[in-house]
Amino acid sequence: MIPAAVEHVRPETLDEALDALTDPEAKALAGGQSLLPVMKLRIVRPSVLVDIGRLGLGGVQLGDNELRLGALATWDTLESAPELKRPSLAALAGCAAEIGDLQVRNRGTLGGSLAHADPASDMPAVVLALGAEVVVRDARAERKLSAEKFFLGPFTTALAPGELITEVVFPLVEGSGSAYAKVEHPASGFALAGAAAHVTPDGKRSVAVTGVGAHPFLLPADADPLDALTEAEIYGDRFAPTEYRRHLAGVVVRRALDRARENMEKAA
Amino acid sequence: MTESVIGVARARVDAPDKVTGATRFAADGHVHGLLHARLVLSPEAHALIQRVERNAALAMPGVVAVLTADDLPLTGAGSDRTTEPLARTEVVFAGQPVALVVAENEAAAEDAVEAVVVQYEPLPAVVDVEDAMLPGRALARVVEEEAGGGDMESIHAGVDNGQEDGDEEQLSDNVLDTVHRSSGDATALLETSDVVVSGTFRTPWVYQAYIEPQVATAWLEPNETLVVSTSTQGSFVTQRELARAFGLPLERIRVVAEPLGGAFGGKLALMEPLAAGAALALRRPVRVVLTRAEDFQATNPASAQVTHLKLGARKDGTLTALTARMIVDRGSNAGWGVEGITTLLVAGPYRWKAHDIRGYGVQTNRFTFGAYRGPGAPTAAFALETLLDELAAELEVDPLELRLQNAVVEADVGVSGNPFPRMGAVEVLERIREHPLWKTRASLPADEGVGVAAGYWPGGTEPAAAVCRVNQDGTMTVVTSAVDMSGVNTGFAAIAAETFGLSPDQIRVVAADTATGPYSGASAGSKVTYTVGAAVLKAAEAAREKLLKAASEELEIAPADLEVVDGAVRAVGSPDHSITVAEISAKALRFGGRYEPIEGHGGSAQTRGAPSVAAHLAHVRVDQETGEVTLLAHVIAQDVGRALNPALVEGQMRGGVAQGIGWALFEELVHDESGQLLTSSFLDYAIPLADRVPDIDTLIVEVPAPDGPFGAKGIGEAPVIAAAPAIANAVAAAVGIRLRELPMTAPRVWAALEDAQA
Repeated sequence: MIPAAVEHVRPETLDEALDALTDPEAKALAGGQSLLPVMKLRIVRPSVLVDIGRLGLGGVQLGDNELRLGALATWDTLESAPELKRPSLAALAGCAAEIGDLQVRNRGTLGGSLAHADPASDMPAVVLALGAEVVVRDARAERKLSAEKFFLGPFTTALAPGELITEVVFPLVEGSGSAYAKVEHPASGFALAGAAAHVTPDGKRSVAVTGVGAHPFLLPADADPLDALTEAEIYGDRFAPTEYRRHLAGVVVRRALDRARENMEKAA
Repeated sequence: MTESVIGVARARVDAPDKVTGATRFAADGHVHGLLHARLVLSPEAHALIQRVERNAALAMPGVVAVLTADDLPLTGAGSDRTTEPLARTEVVFAGQPVALVVAENEAAAEDAVEAVVVQYEPLPAVVDVEDAMLPGRALARVVEEEAGGGDMESIHAGVDNGQEDGDEEQLSDNVLDTVHRSSGDATALLETSDVVVSGTFRTPWVYQAYIEPQVATAWLEPNETLVVSTSTQGSFVTQRELARAFGLPLERIRVVAEPLGGAFGGKLALMEPLAAGAALALRRPVRVVLTRAEDFQATNPASAQVTHLKLGARKDGTLTALTARMIVDRGSNAGWGVEGITTLLVAGPYRWKAHDIRGYGVQTNRFTFGAYRGPGAPTAAFALETLLDELAAELEVDPLELRLQNAVVEADVGVSGNPFPRMGAVEVLERIREHPLWKTRASLPADEGVGVAAGYWPGGTEPAAAVCRVNQDGTMTVVTSAVDMSGVNTGFAAIAAETFGLSPDQIRVVAADTATGPYSGASAGSKVTYTVGAAVLKAAEAAREKLLKAASEELEIAPADLEVVDGAVRAVGSPDHSITVAEISAKALRFGGRYEPIEGHGGSAQTRGAPSVAAHLAHVRVDQETGEVTLLAHVIAQDVGRALNPALVEGQMRGGVAQGIGWALFEELVHDESGQLLTSSFLDYAIPLADRVPDIDTLIVEVPAPDGPFGAKGIGEAPVIAAAPAIANAVAAAVGIRLRELPMTAPRVWAALEDAQA
């Protein structure tokens, strides 16, 4: 439970951080809630930890058409920020409140979670359902990735070497409602199945699931979500076999949709 | 006499230090020149060790040694965890320690562990315990070792193995032990019973999940005394085990039991042979501290069990006979298993007219079996108490009344062949029958239900001694060698206070080590308060006699006319005529003093166990969509003999129920087909966290133990035993399904609900 020897740098500016991250063996250290445990198990052995804690990336900015969350916004921030207390964004606060325990929520960050891309982590489902964009930068340029294109597989994302998530941008839809529902693994607290739903007054809906596949994914917009799940490739393990997980995904999808509609009615 | 302190709730004597962080645990001690050892664990479940390549590790900075079994000065015969703390030639479970890397600091040791390369020749892993019993099957251990001898079994239960008999079943050599208990013609009686129910029940390996991982530190004093500072349940047993391992005389081994960070049966002589062996080999102090992942893999959890059970009853509800076939997975433990105790407890606290119970202790390539709170008891109770509920349903009688009708009373002969002593089986069942939860169970919302179950623990015995010393300031120090597990020291303080005539806060209890302390057995088997507590009582009486003798001279009043009240000795009926304990003690403890020091020595040798019995009510809600079971409320009524300190008794009852919730709903160590452990962290192994333990209503029932101090008996193990079947019976009451396997996880409950609908 002692990590392999590692260097630690704490840049004061984003440019310095991005420069340090050009080392292919470097890892960005945000809240450390995922990275440090795997380092202690020596599954991950970075040469240098680039501590991004001083880059001022933790902000919450609510505009007229979009919400911008800094990569270092903690779960606690998402849970308690007044800007997020609106029915259309209820999935964000509700999901954050279900992650880990208070200590984890004080340290764990949005950007760290997305970059780590645990196939059973909660927030990616919300990011997908709300149609967010992930803003990433490397030493040369900035680009925006749609959430749908961001998650590629277990612990695998579209981030290129040297790239850092700086922000996540959520479009705002007037009068919409969202919600997150999950059934958690009794030991890890990760989702056995989790679902985020976003419904809009014009009848559109967006549903994403997590914990049931190689990575969190959006259900097709043009099909009944429960039908879509019967077609989806669902992951099983010795604790929760595929058949159970598929069933559970249906349960949480329905619960998330019901709560999202309730939230939309509150908005009306 | 002032108000009695017996039966009064008080804070634990160790509570302030524990909650302020002042307690120094076994890993906290500073030792000059300390080396840190880390284990190299076998990745193979069953293999022969071909070669240990250590040069690369030895070349790393800070590394002092890489030790294998051959490097330790082991002399004991056998291949148990004491005599073979590192595998010699054959590894018999994945996670078995194979080598020790010793370095100047922990990080260097951990770095070097990865550089030790062990070459193995894999052998077939024996993981299916029932298949392993069949003649001709592959063996879980192929290299013959002479038997060792230790006394681990007697620490916990000390039950015999029933009768020897001639009907030889054809079994493989993986079956290390068989037990047969029978009386009457159980099979014939079942055939003529009005109702018969049966089932096969499976329970998994379960981890003790103490907060403090296993740790031991060992060093040699300049006079060659081996000192071991450790987190253990028993200092003297550890001393004996070390003597057995290294062929040292007892007087050359000093074992210091440090404050315990949880144990529940699991901390007995696992780490000490490793630390001591390394310290003897290197002649430097060595500490072994397990990480949590290592603790999961390399220690000694409760064994998995398969129980085939059949019960019968007459129409009028009288239980007739039971037959059982109980297969206990011992893993690599050749020394002892729970087949003796589980075959006794499968009969429960009930009368049977005939029984035929067979138990088998079987070796496999999984862990090394160890004790866990009520070893062999929750597994037996799950089978029995489930089938009793099914029997009640078939008979269309109230399940609680069925138990009450058949509950043992004093002198009923149990399946051990011995009569039951007085035990409150009837009383605890009557107590929960009156509980509102039971009375209103018919009017619960949909998907909710209440279940009942009961179970008992026979209670252990072992001679013990204690010393009560009055200090110059009139306070008392109670000295024992008992490890303070679950608050026994607080009970000792109450016993000494009440007996001697001081207030409990004037009494300090210290745990001595093997070099300085009076004898005590391990804190195990629900026996410490019953045995060491009885010794403390006698020691306090002896000290009181000396006090009264001195006071008699000072006051010129006969001892029989004196009483001790609030720290003073006074004439009965003339309270102004008095002298304080401090004044007398000051006259004794000084140069040229007049009196013998006010000290008493006491011993006990209990010859009868004092069983404790508990009955449970569990109230659950089942989410039929997800299969999740939520425990909404729990009631436990336990016969505790006499509650010396109700707060601590209730704490024990709550803790037992909490661990029973773990058995019922969460806990399961899982291996794959090749014997690899799949659950080696709390990310995979679920335990009942605070938010999953509901309010527990604790009902103390007092049926005094004739030989116990103030009627007290050991109470630690009884409360865990029947919690899981009460929850299982509640699930059945809620949604009509009966699971035959623990834990009742959401996926299993959902699958059973699907099956029931199909």
